[in-house]
Amino acid sequence: MWGREINGLVLTFHLAGINNQNFLMRDEQTGTYWQQISGRGISGPLAGRSLKLIPSDELTFKLWKSEQPDGSVLKDIPADAGDYSPKDWDVKIQKYPTVLSFPEHGFKPRDVMLGIQAFGEARAFPYELVLREKLVQDRVGTEPVILLVGPDGQSVRAFRANDDFFRAPDGSMMDSATGSRWNFKGCAEDGKSKGACLERIEAIKDFWFDWRNYHPNTTVYAGAGRRRK
Amino acid sequence: MDDSIATGPAHPKPAFSLIIATLAIAIFFVAYPDYVIRPMRHQGAGELQAALVVLQYQHLAEFLCAAAALLALVFYLRLKPGRGPQIRAISATAVVLVCAAFSRVNVFEVMFHPAGAPSFQPARETKLDGDEKVLAVNTRAYPIRSISYHHIVNDVAGGVPIAVTY
Repeated sequence: MWGREINGLVLTFHLAGINNQNFLMRDEQTGTYWQQISGRGISGPLAGRSLKLIPSDELTFKLWKSEQPDGSVLKDIPADAGDYSPKDWDVKIQKYPTVLSFPEHGFKPRDVMLGIQAFGEARAFPYELVLREKLVQDRVGTEPVILLVGPDGQSVRAFRANDDFFRAPDGSMMDSATGSRWNFKGCAEDGKSKGACLERIEAIKDFWFDWRNYHPNTTVYAGAGRRRK
Repeated sequence: MDDSIATGPAHPKPAFSLIIATLAIAIFFVAYPDYVIRPMRHQGAGELQAALVVLQYQHLAEFLCAAAALLALVFYLRLKPGRGPQIRAISATAVVLVCAAFSRVNVFEVMFHPAGAPSFQPARETKLDGDEKVLAVNTRAYPIRSISYHHIVNDVAGGVPIAVTY
C-alpha cells in the first residue's frame, strides 16, 4: 500500500500493464509508470522516485473486526462483484502458471512468502512454515525480528523484538524480561511493560517468484534452529 | 487517362506513400507496447523500458499519424486516382484512425474495471465470512476478493491519500 502524494501533488493511479505478473500503474497527473511491488517510478517524469510505503496488514475479517469494531469496509461494486475472486482464490491460483521460476531452496514459483525488506536486508519467510511455528524469532539485517501468528491462526505480524519473547502454553506471547503478556497488536496487556508496544515491521505477502524477482539478493528463513542462508 | 496527372508536378505517389508510412508508425506505436506488456510473457528489463517510452509518446504519435493520414488522403483523392488505389488509400487511413482510437483505450481497465471513488460500510453491517482476508489500514478494511480484481483503489484514509494495491 502506497502514499499517493509526491511533492504536494496527489496522484491518481490506473492499472496500466503487467510486468512479469506484477502490475504496473500509471498516474493520471504526470503519466509516470510505477511498479506495484516496489512503489518505484520506472518510466516518465517521476521515474526513479519512490512512493511512501503505508503500513498495512493482511488479516482475516474476524480478526480485523475484533480490533476495529467501529471500522469500515470497502463496498463491492455490484456490477463487478460477479467477477471477484472466490474465497479459495489463493488455493486456485497455485495452479495458474508463471513466467518466472527461481528453483533455489526448492520452492515452487507460487509458494507464498512473507517478505520483509528492512535494516539492509530482504528476507523471505515461507508463510506455511511461519503458521506452523506460530512465533518466529530471527534477524533481518542488523536487527532482531519476530513474526507472530494471530489468534485466527492465519494472520501474521512482524515486530522488531529480541529473543526475550516466547510462546506461553496458552498460546499468548510473553517476554522473560518483564513477564508481560503481549497481544497480536504487539502491545503489552499486563506486567511491567503494560501499555508498551513493539515497533511494527512491514511484512508483504507475496509469491516466491515475485518476491525473488524484485529482491534478487533475498535470504530465506529455513526454520527455527536452522542455519541462516 | 489525363496525361497531366501522370506527368504533372502533383504526382499522387508521395501522398499514398505518406499514408502507408503513417500506417506503419501507427501500428507500431499500438502493437509494440501491447506485445511487450502483456500477461503470461517474460519481459526483459530493456524491452519493458523501450515499450514504456513508446507508450509515453503513443498519444502524440497516433494523433500526428491520424492527422497526417487524413490530410494526405484528402490530397490524394483530389488527384482522382483510380478506384483500386482509392480503396487502398481509404482503407489504410481507416486503419490509422482505428489505431489512434485504440490508443485511447486502457485495455487493462477494460479487463479489470477500475474501482472508482471508493465507498464504505460499517464493519458491523458487512456480510463477509470471518475467515475472508482483508487488507487493513487501521480503521479501514479492503476485502481481498474485490481488491484482487480491481488491483488499485485510490482512497484517502485519515486525511492521507493512499493507493491500496493488490
